[in-house]
Amino acid sequence: MAVKKDYKDQTLAERLRDRKYYVPDSNPEFVKEVEKIGQTPAHMCFQCGTCTGSCPSAPRSTYRIRLFMRKINLGLEEEILTDPDLWLCTTCYSCTDRCPRDLAPTDAIMAMRNLAARRDIVPRNFLKTAQAIYASGHGVPNNDANRAARVKLGLDAEPDTTHKYPEYLEGIRKIMDHYGLKERADKILAEEG
Amino acid sequence: MAEVKKYEEPRIGVFVCHCGTNIAGSIDIKAVMEYASTLPNVVIADDYQYMCSTPGQNKIGEAIEEQKLTGVVVAACSPRLHEPTFRAATKEGGLNPFRFEMANIREQNSWVHMHQPEEATDKAKDAVRIAVAKASLLEDLIPKSVPVERAAMVVGGGVGGMQAALDLASAGIKTYLVEKEPSIGGKMSQLDKTFPTLDCSQCILTPKMVDVYRHENIELLTYTEVEAVEGYIGNFDVTLRKKARGVMTPDEATERGIIGGGCNGCGDCEDVCPVIRPNPFELGMSPMKAIYIYHAQVSPLIYTIDFDSCVKCGLCVDVCGDKKAIELDAQDTFETVKVGTIVLATGYDIFPVEEKHEWGYKNYDNVITSLEFERLICASGPTGGHLIRPSDGATPKKVGFVLCAGSRDNTGVGKPYCSRFCCMYSLKHAHQIIEKIPGAVPYIFYMDIRSFGKMYEEFYYRIQDEGAKFIRGRVANIQEDPVTKNLHINTEDTLLGRPIDVEVDMVVLAAAVQPAAETEATRRLFGVSCSQDGWLLEAHPKLNPCGTTTAGVYLAGVCQGPKDIPDTVAQAEGAASAASIPIHRGEVELEPYFAVCIEDICAGCGMCINLCPYQALALVEKDGRTVMQVTEAKCKGCGTCGGFCPGGAIRMQHFTTPQIVAQIDAFLLGGEQ
Amino acid sequence: MRQYAFFLGCIAPNRYPGIEASAIKTSEKVGIELLPLKGASCCPAPGAFGSIDLNIWYAMAARNVVLAEQMDMDITLICNGCYKSIYEVNEKLKHNDELRDGVNEVLKEIDMEFKGTVDVWHLAELYYDPEIVGLKKLADSVTRPLTGAKIAVHYGCHLMKPGKERHFGDTENPMWIEELVAALGAEPVQYRNKMLCCGAGGGVRGYDLAHSLDITNEKMINLQEVGADALTEVCPFCQLQYDRGQIEIEEKFGITWGLPVLHYNELLGLAQGMSPDELALDLHAVDVEPFLKKIL
Repeated sequence: MAVKKDYKDQTLAERLRDRKYYVPDSNPEFVKEVEKIGQTPAHMCFQCGTCTGSCPSAPRSTYRIRLFMRKINLGLEEEILTDPDLWLCTTCYSCTDRCPRDLAPTDAIMAMRNLAARRDIVPRNFLKTAQAIYASGHGVPNNDANRAARVKLGLDAEPDTTHKYPEYLEGIRKIMDHYGLKERADKILAEEG
Repeated sequence: MAEVKKYEEPRIGVFVCHCGTNIAGSIDIKAVMEYASTLPNVVIADDYQYMCSTPGQNKIGEAIEEQKLTGVVVAACSPRLHEPTFRAATKEGGLNPFRFEMANIREQNSWVHMHQPEEATDKAKDAVRIAVAKASLLEDLIPKSVPVERAAMVVGGGVGGMQAALDLASAGIKTYLVEKEPSIGGKMSQLDKTFPTLDCSQCILTPKMVDVYRHENIELLTYTEVEAVEGYIGNFDVTLRKKARGVMTPDEATERGIIGGGCNGCGDCEDVCPVIRPNPFELGMSPMKAIYIYHAQVSPLIYTIDFDSCVKCGLCVDVCGDKKAIELDAQDTFETVKVGTIVLATGYDIFPVEEKHEWGYKNYDNVITSLEFERLICASGPTGGHLIRPSDGATPKKVGFVLCAGSRDNTGVGKPYCSRFCCMYSLKHAHQIIEKIPGAVPYIFYMDIRSFGKMYEEFYYRIQDEGAKFIRGRVANIQEDPVTKNLHINTEDTLLGRPIDVEVDMVVLAAAVQPAAETEATRRLFGVSCSQDGWLLEAHPKLNPCGTTTAGVYLAGVCQGPKDIPDTVAQAEGAASAASIPIHRGEVELEPYFAVCIEDICAGCGMCINLCPYQALALVEKDGRTVMQVTEAKCKGCGTCGGFCPGGAIRMQHFTTPQIVAQIDAFLLGGEQ
Repeated sequence: MRQYAFFLGCIAPNRYPGIEASAIKTSEKVGIELLPLKGASCCPAPGAFGSIDLNIWYAMAARNVVLAEQMDMDITLICNGCYKSIYEVNEKLKHNDELRDGVNEVLKEIDMEFKGTVDVWHLAELYYDPEIVGLKKLADSVTRPLTGAKIAVHYGCHLMKPGKERHFGDTENPMWIEELVAALGAEPVQYRNKMLCCGAGGGVRGYDLAHSLDITNEKMINLQEVGADALTEVCPFCQLQYDRGQIEIEEKFGITWGLPVLHYNELLGLAQGMSPDELALDLHAVDVEPFLKKIL
């Protein structure tokens, strides 16, 4: 366990915080959860760096897919799920394509995002997309300018989707409600203000 | 010769091995022992920590004497490991060794049921009961001995095959060295220098090639392939295909009455040959004629015609003149030789690393393989030893070395194993460019540097000291600058934790090695197995690394798995030694598991004859009747005939019908009689 | 005429309707009839939805597939994001009983069942497949070859990767869309790091626009090096990132590129003689005019 430093000076206590890795501070079950959701044996990572070397986000940020894979295996759940870099993966799957251990680091990232979401840690834009789909069936819904353009092209103003057939929306909402997604999205977004 | 004894009543001794905690950790030894003592015919049940040790074996001998045993059962590991041990102990105790039966309670029990002690113990009891049932019906068997042909064959003329042949031949054994290429030398003859000593590969190899060529006990058969193998240890009949070379050796010429004729390697024919094609020895980087030698140091120094490209213009025939060495209408010929033992040293291929598209081999000009690097840096290579960029002929200053190029790769495109010598030769390559090119900087991209051999870690130290740059990261991809043809190597420096882009003039891929293309054919010809990774399978990874599961066939070098030159030569010497033992003994004992015809009831129908996969059966006239006869040396005891015989006239020794039925009954009836 | 259920997605019908219009018209000329998949929704967005809960992503995508199953018709689509959702979920559910049972439990609530009876195709692969359309038929449909235009191809990640779960061969340097471009008479050009992501995926466009545009900008640098007249792709989301992204790059980074970006179906429409108006090219954020001048 990390050494607690009850220094009176809080700033000093934080600056000199024990940074060692201690096994009891980690969650050995975390890797199993990630593997179950991500359907990839993340524990087989041998840290070669092919993933980060393939990553379009790595050169322009502190996002390191290899480090996430390492932290999964060390059970550093807190550190991972609260890391804003978790959301910088563009899901391009280059790492997955090249991983010599045949792992899917991208799917491990997706799994960890799912686990973060269970704690209501989700960036706003993800939730807004969910809300939009609940409302209209589309993540990017139609608008008036586009309707006019469609008509000019000889298309119907509304495409043959839930836009033209809103009766299908009920099914979509039932699926989302089954998972309580809309409710959660509303709640989180309201709390954030 | 031992005599066959008969006993009135079976008296069986059962010995249960703890194997330390290997067995005792999950199986209740005491319970198994107590159970054994209740079984019919069992007169003693005992246990010991390690039954294979001297005290363990002594227990068997003592019990045979004191208890007048007629059969011995040891419940322990796999028969493959210790059946010979306990048979010897049984024999030592005065019983026929075939009165021993083994119950496997380790590999097939304790190791797989580690967490189910109760079920494992029950299963062990079953195994012991079954073994006792068989042991009660075992009989004395007398193994046959057959003479061993005083000759050996080595297949493959690389450094491993050459060493094995030299050792066998020097031990006084006539040795056939068969090589499919026109020259011996193998991959090693393509290398420039060898790690960690940096001695020149040709300098240490060519003298050996000459030794092989000159050795009085070696019959060198180049441009020859094995067509068929028949027989068994001591008596292999190997049919060889001598591929049409189109050029006669002086000896062959003499045989045909052309005295003083035959190829003397003068090369006049090559000069006049109009056909130009890529030289495979130089990996296509230099030209070669249709009539060719790969390089000046070939052994034997005899030209060969590639009939696929030869246009039969006859210019070579004319220029060869009175030597009359060339025959443009040559055909493949066949020859069968008899040998007692065989060493396979069939080597390896390079993994087609272009299949890893991300590194751009065969797409980008300046991405080459390590073997191409060897030819380019070698003084006798296509550039006279000047390393150049294929794109523009310039001398590269910054060179990237990509390790594990296809090795340690579980994607299905690549090889899961470590190719074992790439780390070391890449260090050597780094040294070579530093030595030859002023200001050159090698960048070595690695996951781990595996410098495990003698003086290897020291070599790593030296190369780092010489200025090689080490970047710990597997290369993600390589991109070519379309204008300069320079290459950008992208990966993460995992120790720095940052993605890096290193621009270099040339990239050398340390491509994985893989089993030679002919391995599957080799495997079938010689009846040996492959391991999961496709390499030929040794009899035991630790205790019998040169043997195979086929008696009389041995392995040397990379055909058994990736290894460097020192390991290859060491294994070759081991294989040669193993292959010489049966020859020096002069005879081998065959397991007496052959089929026996019960002539009284054999109807002579002959239906078994064609069923036998080993041509071991024949119909003969005996006392005015037609009966089947078994050639015991050919019979492998497979049981095909015995299972089929409509009259039940074939008895499979050591696996008789009553013995097998007793085993099945013992299992199904759970010990009830 | 081969018939397919036409899955529209969001961005094509709701932002670039010219892609939808041209897909229908151009396909007809090469023997493919696209029929409306009534009541389809967002695929749903693999990044946004999958990141929150993969199970919802499976179920929502499965609903779209079931609509086609009810028509007894294979699906074709024109967007790589949709391809990932619809193709991948269809394949996963076909081959993973546990997953399928879970999804069907949810679908039961809306009286649907995933049966696994249809296949999913990207329209571009149908064009390339010689048994469906093929390069020759495609070239034969061209009335106004795009001669003289240097066109770079962006494949898009979710069409091609992970390669093991696709069937398009080489994912490092594929050339088949270049062949589709060449069939229109244009000259496909190669550029550095062709397979680089557009930067929009995984929710990154919404999460950190500057980060996502910085990736887009890298692509623009590489494209400029080889003097491409236009960039083509087969994904409206990539198109949005490259087209509107250039305006955003201008706003955020002060760099102007002005590289026209066209979906392959828009190019095909032009090559088959459709007018810029019939393709609503005026809706593009980056002016397409310089490119049109080259070919018209």
